[in-house]
Amino acid sequence: MRGPGRLQAESRLWGYLFLLGLLALWEVLARAEMVNTLLFPRVSLILTYLGKLLTAGDILAQVAISLARSLSAYLIAALFAISLGIVMGYYRVVYEVVEPFMEMLRPMPIVALIPVIILFLGLGWQMKVFIIFLACVWPILLNTIDGVRGIDAVLVHTARTLGASPMQLLRYVILPAALPVIVTGLRISVATSLILMVISEMIGGMNGIGFFILNAQRKMRVLDMFAGIIILGGIGYLFNFLFRLASNRLIHWHLGMTRLTRR
Amino acid sequence: MRKLWVYLLRTLLFALCVAAWELGARGNPELTEFFPPLSLIFPTAVQSIAQGELPRHLGSSLATFLKAYALAAFIGLTGGVLLGRWRWLFHLFEPPIELLRPLPTPAMIPIAILIFGIDESMRIAITVYACTWPILLNTIDGVRGAEPVLIHTAHTFGASERQLLLKVILRAASPQMVTGLRISLGIALILVVTSEMIAAVDGIGFYILETARNFEVAEMFGAVLVLALLGYLLNKTFVSLEGRAMAWYYGSKKREAR
Amino acid sequence: MPLLEVRNLRHTYRDAKRGDVLAIRDLSFSVNQGEFISLVGPSGCGKTTMLMCLAGLLRPSQGVVLLDGQAVAGPPDNLILVFQEYNKSLMPWRTVLQNISFGLEIKKLTFPEGNRHHLERLLKVVGLSDFAGRYPWELSGGMQQRVAIARALACKPEILLMDEPFGSVDAQMRFELEDSLLMLWQEFAITILFVTHDIDEAIYLSDRVLVSGRRPSEIVEERAVGLRRPRDQVRTRSHPEFVEHRTRIYEMMRTFSEQSPA
Repeated sequence: MRGPGRLQAESRLWGYLFLLGLLALWEVLARAEMVNTLLFPRVSLILTYLGKLLTAGDILAQVAISLARSLSAYLIAALFAISLGIVMGYYRVVYEVVEPFMEMLRPMPIVALIPVIILFLGLGWQMKVFIIFLACVWPILLNTIDGVRGIDAVLVHTARTLGASPMQLLRYVILPAALPVIVTGLRISVATSLILMVISEMIGGMNGIGFFILNAQRKMRVLDMFAGIIILGGIGYLFNFLFRLASNRLIHWHLGMTRLTRR
Repeated sequence: MRKLWVYLLRTLLFALCVAAWELGARGNPELTEFFPPLSLIFPTAVQSIAQGELPRHLGSSLATFLKAYALAAFIGLTGGVLLGRWRWLFHLFEPPIELLRPLPTPAMIPIAILIFGIDESMRIAITVYACTWPILLNTIDGVRGAEPVLIHTAHTFGASERQLLLKVILRAASPQMVTGLRISLGIALILVVTSEMIAAVDGIGFYILETARNFEVAEMFGAVLVLALLGYLLNKTFVSLEGRAMAWYYGSKKREAR
Repeated sequence: MPLLEVRNLRHTYRDAKRGDVLAIRDLSFSVNQGEFISLVGPSGCGKTTMLMCLAGLLRPSQGVVLLDGQAVAGPPDNLILVFQEYNKSLMPWRTVLQNISFGLEIKKLTFPEGNRHHLERLLKVVGLSDFAGRYPWELSGGMQQRVAIARALACKPEILLMDEPFGSVDAQMRFELEDSLLMLWQEFAITILFVTHDIDEAIYLSDRVLVSGRRPSEIVEERAVGLRRPRDQVRTRSHPEFVEHRTRIYEMMRTFSEQSPA
């Protein structure tokens, strides 16, 4: 029997073979010197170099520096944006007063502020944390506001008729009800934090994985560059994976509900 | 009455911010080098616009932006329709997409420099790369998510594959396509500015970084404000065009929510 | 002294398009301890607004609501309102059991027989013992409404206000829910104010039926229902007294809807 699951697994297999084929093509072209191997060394060379780099461990220190920056900025942004978003989502007056300012500031490309922030905070970690923080705030803030505003009045009324105080309302109703939408914002910001981590290290950095990659390119240490990019991709993959794991636990009820209603 | 209060509070808040900047800068003359008062920034910004330096850099950035955005839209939309419509093609490209997707896009800048050098083609390439993702993935979602009943209906009316694609699937997927295009708008601006800061000799990103390095702070703030205005206008234009083109979609959504 | 007394209640709300809308005009009635009382009126006659005022969720423009002789200012402790939209009033992130225990957690109530035992008995009474660990969105509409009712009853309120609770379930389920509600009403010895636009349902359930006219609402008729309890879906509904009540209320509502301009 050929079930749909088996069919899918089979076609995914073709996809992986296709991917392997592409990498093999690169390897062959590089071996045949049909591409400039100064720019694109053999895949096998890159991979063995990556292994050496990881076992030597110096690169891990750079990664740790970068992660400390992006994680701390992300957490501060989440805390700040969720609290502000709840206030703005719940009190219509606050939202109406602040909304035009948000609309004005939001399309501002945060990277343009990097030189400004360098002037004020220097080239150290404070500048990078602040930049990442600024960029991560937006998705979480906007989603929190949406989530809170989208809560049905009947739910709030029900909790109140059952005797919930304002604090209980926040804790037992507003926060859990808005959580699925907040999580969407948190997920977007995971990617944002990594992007701004790399950019801030490239523009105003002396260490960290972003600086490592750009510096390797400038010094034409192409193996370092490719290895660094692969490591960065690994971090991105890991972050996505961990986030999905956490959010599946946090809002598993919502996933079940949407799966059911979609049928 | 309520509306009036909101307007009043808004104006007050705005005035407060402006006043805080102005007075804060004037109160600390030793800081003027970093933190000039607004009343100094505006004349300087106007001057740099009049001298043609800021418009030249802005024009260069805008040209890069438009070329890259158009190219990304073309690649993302056509690629998305193909991958969304043909399952086997999607499965073929899924693993490479999954491999590349989690990589923060600016990490590709060094590779782009290797291939294209540091002229405009590099900036276009990296911007296209970053912008294509949301358009591509949203289009795939939209095409795959097209209501089967709609497709069956078109089939019973005897629609050919071409007609089905043009008259039904593209329309049904357009809300997601537009979403992708809107997300990419902001990303394009970010990548243009970033790549100009990292490797360029013109463009607004280069200008901002250069003025900051030379401590021409008023010029720098002027450029930042102009860039913010550009982002705002681009977004506004997009949203108003979207509102017009997608009126049927938002109308049906509103109806559903009731 | 009546348990709940409504005196000269009046409420207008502001609508962006239509300006000030008069939802309730000068409404007065009272509910006695232990009574099952229904209020019927055409849809959209300000009934939900009235219930929100009674439950302390909305401040009326004029008039007072007295509960046990005390003016209602916020949501009172011994009164709970059950909404028609059970799908919106249940918390999708809580299981059936957790939903039912919500009020207990909020009010920090403890029962002498143990909260767990209290809740399990309640689940049994509403016939949901097998669904304690399920989520509300996994249940049918009728079951969801039973969860909402059980959640309100779990706090042992003195009075339950119900806003067309069976308005969006099918006819068969509706009969079952009506009978289980009557059973619960007797078992818990509480007072129920039931709002509906279904005349038959009002007569079938109640000791007393209040009839309101079109918006803006006021009581235009009051009928005491002397039908024997326990009631029976077939026999009670075909009883001559039942038919007479229905005819009278129907005529009343028709007259009033003809009189006032639409």
